[in-house]
Amino acid sequence: MPQSLFFRQACVALMLTASAMWVGAQPATPTAPSPAPVAAPDSASTTQAQRQVEQPGNNAPTWREVRKEGQTHYSSLPARESGVLIQSAGETWRQLRNGPITFYGGWLIVLVAAAIGAFYLWRGTMQLHERPTGKLIARFALIERWAHWSMAISFCVLGVSGLVILFGKHLLLPVIGHTLFAWLTFLMKNLHNFVGPLFIISIVLFFIIYVRDNLPEKGDLQWLLKGGGMLNGEHVPSGRFNAGEKSWFWFGVVILGAVMSASGLVLLFPNFEQLRSTMQTANVVHGIAAVVFIAMSLGHIYVGTIGMEGAYQGMRTGYVDASWAKEHHALWYEEMQTAQQKHTTGTTQTNVPQAQH
Amino acid sequence: MARMKFLCDAERCIECNGCVTACKQEHDVPWGVNRRRVVTINDGVPGERSISVACMHCSDAPCMAVCPVDCFYKTEDGVVLHDKDLCIGCGYCFYACPFGAPQFPQAGAFGLRGKMDKCTFCAGGPEKDRSEEEFRKYGRNRLSEGKLPACAEMCSTKALLGGDGDVVADIYRERVLKRGKGAEVWGWGTAYGLPGGGQKPAATGAKS
Repeated sequence: MPQSLFFRQACVALMLTASAMWVGAQPATPTAPSPAPVAAPDSASTTQAQRQVEQPGNNAPTWREVRKEGQTHYSSLPARESGVLIQSAGETWRQLRNGPITFYGGWLIVLVAAAIGAFYLWRGTMQLHERPTGKLIARFALIERWAHWSMAISFCVLGVSGLVILFGKHLLLPVIGHTLFAWLTFLMKNLHNFVGPLFIISIVLFFIIYVRDNLPEKGDLQWLLKGGGMLNGEHVPSGRFNAGEKSWFWFGVVILGAVMSASGLVLLFPNFEQLRSTMQTANVVHGIAAVVFIAMSLGHIYVGTIGMEGAYQGMRTGYVDASWAKEHHALWYEEMQTAQQKHTTGTTQTNVPQAQH
Repeated sequence: MARMKFLCDAERCIECNGCVTACKQEHDVPWGVNRRRVVTINDGVPGERSISVACMHCSDAPCMAVCPVDCFYKTEDGVVLHDKDLCIGCGYCFYACPFGAPQFPQAGAFGLRGKMDKCTFCAGGPEKDRSEEEFRKYGRNRLSEGKLPACAEMCSTKALLGGDGDVVADIYRERVLKRGKGAEVWGWGTAYGLPGGGQKPAATGAKS
């Protein structure tokens, strides 16, 4: 079909070019008689009126019109797209959603989870090399933690509910049955719809709060080239956020967050007269971005919890141990030390809680 | 059992919308929802043709394939029905359907979708046949009364045919032979597979 369509368009274009050249050439050679262009008997441009004269009872031009994507006809019912007799794009959407998005998306998440599990079995929790000093350094202010956790919690709710909507039919439905599964999915759909806007707001706040410390710096390339020392345990010096965190910020929160938000809003509010084709495209984009987002988040959640000693406490309490800061964010640690020396009045220490080990 | 099919004869349809009205009347369809609609091609110019379209009860129904809660089922007659108690109103069937059949009576603010509603081929739903509850959710169950769909029965020019696919095809074939034109069986390729393709109606529960 696309080939024949292209062929037809090419033919029309050729005919147009030829006739334009013929018209253009007329004044120069007024004496040369040229035969008038005759439309091919089965040309796609033939209207039903023309065709009926040549071949009464041949309705091909009419039915060709119907099949054109996005072709709207007349319907007295005042509904959106009521004049569209048939839409073929729905089948394309079905094949994409039920095919690659479900299959590859599902396996991507499973394999990433399995890889992380294998990595944990191999390396275990990344321990501190030095003993914790007990001296705590403020790493995340209250508003920063609020921004992080509101985003994290809404992300998890959206992720789980989205997974149920895409994969539940294959994984949960056979186990818990139609009635319970439909009830659960209805709950998930509503959670997804209401938590979605909260997630969008939290992304915006998170971006404003964290963008300054996530701007690329000199040491970032070095950090990325060494893989953050994940494999050999080497500690590559980095600022407040290392290049891995920055990549997650820019590709995860900013790019995927924006893509998910935009496509999600198209699907969430169908009352803006958007067409089915728009919603199909939005759903495909939403699905692909979602499985990538979830797969990446697994890595982030791993490092932030069981993957690295002291990381979770940092985001939970806002404070990290001095030796943790020195090992994982050496440049930031030095920065904090010099900043502290400047204001060394003795009062700054009193507010800092002591670590309980 | 018979395989129920719809066929609209474009050479006969006069766009009277009698089928739409009959359907709304028969099933007490909510305001703003139309299970059937008439579309006119080349309106007002030579070659004008009208088609009455609703759920075609496809053999390989896309709505059934994409439903996240698997609320669709197929009767022995090949009629595609759905369970409104299971439907979550996600709208996926509406994205997938080639014919624009699924309708959503708006249930909440901001375009929040309610339970999907569509043509049942006058075969009701999963509730007990001809029960009060079945009528409230899906409309009348004419098939269980031994009657054919109200839209086709009501059609003044007999353009819209609904019933056993073989009988419908025979009637249509006879018409085409007599008048010598208008052999296009609109929508059948999409809904029931290509002729000679040997595509049997999918067994209950089977989907891609």
